[in-house]
Amino acid sequence: MPEIYPVGMADIRIAKAPDVLAVYGVGSCVIVAMYDPKTTIGGLAHVILPDSTGIAPERLNPKKFADTAVPLLYQTLSHAGVYKSSLWAKVIGGAEMFPPTEDFSLNIGKKNTEAVHDALRKLGVPVLAEDTGGTVGRSLEMRLDSGKIALTVLGESVREL
Amino acid sequence: MDDVLNLTKRQLDALRELGNIGSGNAATALAQFLNRKIDMDVPSAKILPLAEVSGLVGGPEQQVLGIFLKVMGQLSGRFILLVPTSTAIKLLQALMPGFEINFSNGKFGEMETSCMREVGNILAGSFLNALSVLTRVPMLNSLPSMAIDMAGALLDSVISDMAAVSDHVLMIETAFVESQENLRIHIFLLPDPASLDRLLEILGVK
Repeated sequence: MPEIYPVGMADIRIAKAPDVLAVYGVGSCVIVAMYDPKTTIGGLAHVILPDSTGIAPERLNPKKFADTAVPLLYQTLSHAGVYKSSLWAKVIGGAEMFPPTEDFSLNIGKKNTEAVHDALRKLGVPVLAEDTGGTVGRSLEMRLDSGKIALTVLGESVREL
Repeated sequence: MDDVLNLTKRQLDALRELGNIGSGNAATALAQFLNRKIDMDVPSAKILPLAEVSGLVGGPEQQVLGIFLKVMGQLSGRFILLVPTSTAIKLLQALMPGFEINFSNGKFGEMETSCMREVGNILAGSFLNALSVLTRVPMLNSLPSMAIDMAGALLDSVISDMAAVSDHVLMIETAFVESQENLRIHIFLLPDPASLDRLLEILGVK
């Protein structure tokens, strides 16, 4: 029986077929999925903020920020023995849940998404699929046997990514 | 305060008391405009690991209505009110008797939206008013923003940039309960990490 492992905010987790990695209720956070179809090893990074600049190194949790979490996921997968050249990525989340008012806007979602793309570009990992932005929350389950992601939005039927 | 994890029991007690005073005032306001009896859960001041935040109200995928306001002034923070959509519908029925509530495809009509934002405005306003009197620091709330979606998704977008340094968030939490129909309204107040020191100083527990 495949196990389902949830990946919480500011966490990184890798697994191998036939297991499943999942995140439920993603808003402005961005989920980076990386997968190597040859070894069927993959992982998720649950990024909550775009940029770690200015955080003291001893206080820095690298799993939190796009610029540190994406390389860390890549490194963790490398140590687990994936073929780096066959790795691809999928990017999900980065919504703006609360509409802006005259007093404020929370536009972390967009910044997170851009920062994740920058980090992936630097590593040379191609983005195979993406579902980001908008104003809706998302849930996802990634099957490590195929790398396919089942994406759920409230009020819609499950989509495959 | 580098990390909310370093808060002492005495400091947390003082923050909980702050929650008590604010929500007492907000509960009175709610009882007045609903014209019903409102009970209040004992407020708590919690330090939660990030991973646990999304499950706070009935699980991360539970459909809820969220109202979000910023607290502005010398003491800043965030205020978030969460109710299951079924509760929001009952609240609206109580507030607008005879009005047919329009809720379809996960969205309320304009009138309903405006009414719920006003509920958020009144609750946050009365909560902060009590705190302003207590601390003698004026605190104002921003205009409310409202969304209906998965609880986890609404919470992560409110807390993520408060957790740049710490892996935990401080939340002052309470719930109002209307016993006739068992309506529960969850309220969370999150002081900005930057104004936490000042707040503790004012409360005399620095």
